[in-house]
Amino acid sequence: MEVPEIMGYKREDGSVGIRNHVALIAVDHAGAPVVEGVSKLIRGTEAVSHQYGRLQFGKDLELTFETLIGTGANPNVAAAIVVGIEPNWTGKIAEEIEKRSKKPVRAVHVIRKGTIEAIEETAKHARQLVSWATELQREPCKLSDLIVGTKCGASDTTSGIAANPVIGVVGGKIVDMGGTFIFGETTELAGGEHIIAERFETEEGKKKFLEVFNRYIEFAKSQGADILGSQPTQENIAGGLTTIEEKALGNIQKVPNRPIKGVLDPAEKPPGKGLWFMDTSSSAQEQVTLLAAAGASVHLFSTGQGNTVGHQILPVIKITGNPITATKMSDNIDVDVSRITKGEMSLEEGGEKVFEYMLKVCSGKLTAAEIVRHDNFAITRLYPSM
Amino acid sequence: MTSYLRWCVLQKKVYLHNEKDNVAVALEDLEPGDTVVVNRNGVKKEISVKEKIPFGHKIALETIKKDGEVYKYGALIGVATKDIEEGSHVHIHNIKSLKYN
Repeated sequence: MEVPEIMGYKREDGSVGIRNHVALIAVDHAGAPVVEGVSKLIRGTEAVSHQYGRLQFGKDLELTFETLIGTGANPNVAAAIVVGIEPNWTGKIAEEIEKRSKKPVRAVHVIRKGTIEAIEETAKHARQLVSWATELQREPCKLSDLIVGTKCGASDTTSGIAANPVIGVVGGKIVDMGGTFIFGETTELAGGEHIIAERFETEEGKKKFLEVFNRYIEFAKSQGADILGSQPTQENIAGGLTTIEEKALGNIQKVPNRPIKGVLDPAEKPPGKGLWFMDTSSSAQEQVTLLAAAGASVHLFSTGQGNTVGHQILPVIKITGNPITATKMSDNIDVDVSRITKGEMSLEEGGEKVFEYMLKVCSGKLTAAEIVRHDNFAITRLYPSM
Repeated sequence: MTSYLRWCVLQKKVYLHNEKDNVAVALEDLEPGDTVVVNRNGVKKEISVKEKIPFGHKIALETIKKDGEVYKYGALIGVATKDIEEGSHVHIHNIKSLKYN
């Protein structure tokens, strides 16, 4: 199969990026105002800001760190500056980004300096790094060297008819040409988990998937939420969905019908090419953030009613099969495949349309979410802080 | 010309996800007396709509007996809780989940 070329950035570690940001990464709440301030001062920077990182412990802390490190190491990032309250953790995160991606990384802490001095120090580093990064040129790269993610949000009947199956077509193409495609949303698979389980390449993968899935369902139950019993929702039923199997199958349409290589932990970089499942929540901003941390450089997002999600460094392409959403929310939508919903376009034609658009985005075209600045970096918390 | 006009006026659009399916999704509101056409495994079939079926809801492409399996996306989505006549609305009143209920 012919692999299309895109104009991307070849990184030191062999990965390919489609953006060239200098990422300003907050380790904690003390780093947040610094990175936000500097992103307004220095062109070419993106603030990755949040309010967590203090008094977390165990697996929850590990996941926060993995998310920050993976975001810095993402191929869409040319260089990173890590800003936190104290030098120890800040330095560790910076070192790990540098180790994994071999890109220029700086660390700045706030204690014994104050916020304004930290802003000055970060801005000076940022000025130098942007000057360096903007000398890097886009060059022909293979689409199959990218990691592509997918998810759906604010779904409706049109998602199952048009936008999700179209993503399935595009995802299949990417896998067939030797690329990498990741899906997640553990809970959204409920009702169709048996279908996904059967698609794993190995027994081990299938077993791990079912373990992850059952753990989620049991956890929800322990919190008094009956994920299975509450599906489909009244809204879904009004829209024509009858059973939980049917709803799950609509979601699953965006997963290409190809063997699944294995289960990735949240934020884990896929160890090889092909189709992968990542254990993620179904919250759009959390899922997109975890995929960015895993090294995804472009994301295909299907929406019916119009989810607006975006991410600072991971371009999210919004696809809708709902003609009203396409018209009323045109500033949030990238690709309109509503002609499928009207019976005027085939899935293959829709797939072609999304694929062509994705190639443009990979070569520099900004997505709707990038233009209107939907910077929705959101850390997945596993449990409360100490 | 007459036949073309007839097609325009009466034939409504439905979406067949998979040739294995015995239900299709209405792409517009269907009214009793409307006709829908589906192409399954190279065989074209004209189905006359028995009752109101809103956009996004399912229509039976053949008679489904009580306890019969209902397929959409080429996969099992439930079983019939009563006999379902060809051209009727398929929803919570006549099918149920096999996995959880």
